[in-house]
Amino acid sequence: MISFRHITKICLLSALLFLGFSTVNTVSAQDGKALFTTNCASCHQVHKPSTGPALAGVEDRWPNKANLYSWIRNSAAFLKTGDKYANDLYNTWNKTAMNQFPNLTDEEIGAIITYINSVPAPGAAAAAGGVADPNAAAAAESDNTLLFGILTLILAVVALILLQVNANLKKLADEREGHSPIEPVPFWRNKSYIAMITVILFVVGGYLTSKGAMALGRSKDYQPEQPIYYSHKVHAGINQINCQYCHTGVYQGKQATIPSVNVCMNCHMSINEYNGEKMYTEDGDEINGTAEIQKLYKYAGFEPGKPWDPSKAKPIEWVRIHNLPDHVYFNHSQHVKAGKVECQTCHGEIQKMGEVKQFTDLSMGWCINCHRETQVQFKDNGFYSIYEKYHQDLKSGKMDSTKGVTVEAIGGTECQKCHY
Amino acid sequence: MKKLLIIALAATATTIVACSDVKRTPGTIYMPDMAYSRAYESYADYSNLTEKGIHYTAMPVEGTLPRGAELPFHIAKDVPGDTTNYFASRAVPNPIDSMTEAETIEAERLYQINCGICHGTKLDGNGPLWKDGNGPYTAAPKNLIADPLVSVMPDGQMFYSLTYGKNLMGSYASQLNRKQRWMVIKYIKIKQKEAKATAATTTAAK
Repeated sequence: MISFRHITKICLLSALLFLGFSTVNTVSAQDGKALFTTNCASCHQVHKPSTGPALAGVEDRWPNKANLYSWIRNSAAFLKTGDKYANDLYNTWNKTAMNQFPNLTDEEIGAIITYINSVPAPGAAAAAGGVADPNAAAAAESDNTLLFGILTLILAVVALILLQVNANLKKLADEREGHSPIEPVPFWRNKSYIAMITVILFVVGGYLTSKGAMALGRSKDYQPEQPIYYSHKVHAGINQINCQYCHTGVYQGKQATIPSVNVCMNCHMSINEYNGEKMYTEDGDEINGTAEIQKLYKYAGFEPGKPWDPSKAKPIEWVRIHNLPDHVYFNHSQHVKAGKVECQTCHGEIQKMGEVKQFTDLSMGWCINCHRETQVQFKDNGFYSIYEKYHQDLKSGKMDSTKGVTVEAIGGTECQKCHY
Repeated sequence: MKKLLIIALAATATTIVACSDVKRTPGTIYMPDMAYSRAYESYADYSNLTEKGIHYTAMPVEGTLPRGAELPFHIAKDVPGDTTNYFASRAVPNPIDSMTEAETIEAERLYQINCGICHGTKLDGNGPLWKDGNGPYTAAPKNLIADPLVSVMPDGQMFYSLTYGKNLMGSYASQLNRKQRWMVIKYIKIKQKEAKATAATTTAAK
């Protein structure tokens, strides 16, 4: 009996021990990834230097495992031991101190290293995605217009031939019936032809002249080539960066402000290659995103792998697209902060533009039209609190709150609002 | 005659094919003297002003402050490899003790625009640029709620990092003024406190 009890005891104990061990052993590569992300990934990448060195092959670089582990747990203390490799490393990385991770167990560090070894080098895992060629789509579109043109031409030729046939048949019929055929007047001396052509020329010419004259000083659809192919589609669209991240001034002043190079470098210190979908210029040429980032580095005076000195940066001379004449005053904050107008109202779907294009003609008619139609955003808006009468009328129902108060009603179409 | 016709046809065909609807030039200006500013506008070329005898500086006089601005941060940036000032900044208190509801909304707006892109809209270190490591950003942004370092970091030290940058994070001094930076820090602190409170209640409930 006793021996039986003894056996069960041993069995239970060994089962417990086994369980304990197996939980320890489950710190596998999977957890290694999670551990790497929470602890290391802020400063280290596997195959590229970041704030700290690339970690691929870290085990082979260090003279022995114990040193590496104690360095990870407390780098400052380990430096004081005077270890040559550690001190050299510290100096090559501009004496950037590594955070301390005293709570990582041997198994956990092991799992991280297992994970690091399991990550393939980027060259090996290059997989080209099947991106549809937008050129083909563009070609198909232009093909359509060409088709319509050819069709119109064929129809016109057919109509002309039919007219000719009709005239000939009439001539034949007249001859048979014995009428002496009237000698036809050639069309360049036919008065009704001349009158018709004059009228058509006058109308078409007048339309083109006035349209051309109105277009003077306006540049709708203007889409200049910029010094760097900067895609709003990639930044504001795909990566969801808020417009105001870069155009800080839009809430504070007249200008939306073009970001200085340091704002680009906030992200591009880390992002030095482009792996997204293919980009094309409006003319259909393919763009190498990584090369465009290199252009930015040239302006910034930044060499990857070295600390960046922002004082070496030179401004990028972007080509200005939206221009108002000198005699018009326009303020961004008035529209965006007080008026709560979306960027897209005036700039179009900027988050879908590879190259920025002037969306509206920025004409006075366009401004005035919007001022007539747009409701003032009175609700929770301190800027318009002085319009007490309107507030009370809206509250008491004297004024239809669904129609609201237009910008025009508070003086938005007065000349001196914009011209002074 | 036939030759001429062929040439004319070929010429029209090339013009039509070569025609592009991409407008690379802005077009012509009507009355240029009213269109272009005589005064120097933003983003005009300032480089040759002194040659013209115009002495102008775009920077405010050193040591002056705009009305209502927060006082300057007196801790300078560390030289590379030194962390003295980084740790000294811990002692600097946040000049903003509490925020009204409107100020909290504004602070949240500033956080979401400037920080949320990396540190996540929920402050969990998983913004659209990181996306669990699938985004374009290569360094993991700190989890502002759960990270053991950041969750207990004093306001002053966070201000140091916001002002001068830390590791791969750049300086935000050009995007947020001093008051806005302190407001964002206060917002993060409020969120950290809320997270701690909910964590405490859930453990208490268990």
